[in-house]
Amino acid sequence: MPVGWREAQTGASDEEYVSFQKGWFNELRDAGYAVPHWPREWGGGMSVAAQIVLYQELAAHDAPRVELAFVAIHHAASTLLVAGTDDQRRRHLPAILEGEIWVQGFSEPEAGSDLASLKTSARRTGDAYVVNGQKVWSTGALHADWCLLLARTDPTADKRHGISYFLMDMNTPGVDVRPIKNAVGESHFCEIFLDDVVIPAENLVGTENAGWQVANETLTTERGLTALELAERLRNHGFRSLVQTCTIPRRSGYRPIDDPIVRDHLTAFETEISGLRALCRGVIERHEAGTARPAEASLVKLCYSELLQRMTDFAVATAGLSVHTQLQKPMSGGWDSGAWVLDFIGSWEWTIAGGTNEIQRTIIGERCLGLPREPRVPNQ
Amino acid sequence: MSTDFSEFHDELRTVARDLLGQSSPLVGDRGDASPANWFQFARAGWLGLDVPEAMGGADATFREVTVVLREMGRAATTSPYFGSIILAVGALRYVTSTDQRDDLLRRVVSGDLRLAVALATDDHLDGALTPFALQCPGGAAQLVGRGHFIPDAVEADQLLVLAVDEDGALAIIHLEDDAPGLSIEPQPVVDPTRRLAHVVADHIEVKDPAILRFRDPPEEAAQRLFDRATLAIACDSLGVAEAMLDATVAYTSTRHQFGRPVGSFQAVKHACADMLLKITVSQELLASAIEAVSVEADDAWIAVSRAKSYIGAAAVEVAGEAMQLHGGIGFTWESGIHTYLKRATLNRSLFGCPTAHRRRLAAHWFGDPLLP
Repeated sequence: MPVGWREAQTGASDEEYVSFQKGWFNELRDAGYAVPHWPREWGGGMSVAAQIVLYQELAAHDAPRVELAFVAIHHAASTLLVAGTDDQRRRHLPAILEGEIWVQGFSEPEAGSDLASLKTSARRTGDAYVVNGQKVWSTGALHADWCLLLARTDPTADKRHGISYFLMDMNTPGVDVRPIKNAVGESHFCEIFLDDVVIPAENLVGTENAGWQVANETLTTERGLTALELAERLRNHGFRSLVQTCTIPRRSGYRPIDDPIVRDHLTAFETEISGLRALCRGVIERHEAGTARPAEASLVKLCYSELLQRMTDFAVATAGLSVHTQLQKPMSGGWDSGAWVLDFIGSWEWTIAGGTNEIQRTIIGERCLGLPREPRVPNQ
Repeated sequence: MSTDFSEFHDELRTVARDLLGQSSPLVGDRGDASPANWFQFARAGWLGLDVPEAMGGADATFREVTVVLREMGRAATTSPYFGSIILAVGALRYVTSTDQRDDLLRRVVSGDLRLAVALATDDHLDGALTPFALQCPGGAAQLVGRGHFIPDAVEADQLLVLAVDEDGALAIIHLEDDAPGLSIEPQPVVDPTRRLAHVVADHIEVKDPAILRFRDPPEEAAQRLFDRATLAIACDSLGVAEAMLDATVAYTSTRHQFGRPVGSFQAVKHACADMLLKITVSQELLASAIEAVSVEADDAWIAVSRAKSYIGAAAVEVAGEAMQLHGGIGFTWESGIHTYLKRATLNRSLFGCPTAHRRRLAAHWFGDPLLP
């Protein structure tokens, strides 16, 4: 475990962050912990039960999060494993273990919750596609070597049947990345402008115009264990920091931890986290057993994100003015760092990203409960 | 859990839902409650699920009992199951075996004797576990005390009383219904589906065989009895919440306004999603607590307090939302929704309200507060 990493990562420069992330990833890889969820032949092969223990232990020991390589080891790998060609797998899976960084190029300014309406176009010319358009909310694009790209190959087809899935080299001419500063002040996500970018046809994943289906198959595969890791972290560093914050005496001598109302809230949070952790374990175990329930990932996301938001809000509301002086939070440390105001502001990343919680509630209502769908607007 | 157990649970659940569902307040236009048929319960084998075969039971575990409890919540069943099976069978399980104890257990399981247990059901987390004391002025033991909110005592044929003796040890006292000095009066509450009572013991003479001693250590055995009772109420609350979500989904899928089912509106759909999330978290907390209680884990009370505090409150919120989403019809007597809301609110308070359970957890997590 890197000693004192939270301090070192607080106020770290972009270069320091990238170098720390790459170093930590290499350490995990050498120990056999970087890609436990991959098949054995590619360097993984850990049982799900062991992976659960691994993430519990990483959280219990307050390990840094794997952020920079996240899309590579999860989304890119599962896309390649599920829908890629042998050649694509051989080219990229070992490279990912060597540090190849990936980014997701899905969302667009006019295609957020309604992702299938994306407009970036890919036109076939000979053995290549020429891509034009704009992507947004691409986390880590500034440091990425490759991009998982969704682009429209048939503008005349139904919106879910005219999209193709590509592997795009970020060093291709015409790719322009511009970071977006988020509400916390960090610049993890980016816009990607695509101007006559040439992608060789061999970098198409699946068949042409089947990209939406490929994306749906590969999007949900990692949710269980990532959510479990976040839930375990919330119980460990998150909850411990919250209790610690409440234990610091004010000038008057008042300690929030002695206040019955504060104790009641803290205990309610602990109970909710216990429920969330059990739910995450259940989701993974049911997935393994082939008895997954519909849209469980949506329930987990809703549960985690809103609990995170309420906890960080409570910390800010309870801790007094001193927490407002924490102007930086450690990189690589997730959303419950203990720099509570920034954590609270940052919590909207979770209630919005990956499909807003409004979208999740609609999914839950329709897929879990079977409630009637919204009427479709004509031509959609 | 093994497949065999899942199948047994599914079967138990199906039979219970079928049997109890007939008298659910959501069926027909009954807003009032009438007791379920006790002998059907006996025939279904529900009276001795976690009792050894030698005592006439099914030799299963508390896990199976909770399957039935959840269905009783789902149907808002009125029955002395809680008093006789959760409390009395629980108490008899945790006392040492004597002829009298074994006889009582056999008769309860067979269905020809109904028992209740008088103990603290309201504030035991902050005060004593029981308001009853066993005194021995001049050698003869006498039971004294006044208990309130005692479940199913009026309907019981005989009574068990949790009492503390002069040495401070807890014991279970067995009383005949007509014991001189015993008075049991109904204590009506807003929830029409549960029967509570005042129990007064005015210097009741107690003979030695009627004093049933807890397994060692008595405090721990008594704690397990309270865990069992508390968890049973949480199971019931989850059943209430599940019934309310099902009813709401069914109603809002068929009720049309503005030319479409009201359940297709996001405001309604999202409220249902929130109900499901609360129920999902409740299910997980309940499963953890059932497991902890079934294996008699040392710290089972933690899982029980988590479950009771969360589910107790969640069931009220879900039932309240069900009333809201049913619109005007949900506020009528005949809809039966109010029955569930009332049961959920009583459940929330029985055997410790959420804040009381969290006070106990907080003392465990954070130690005692420093006094100002």
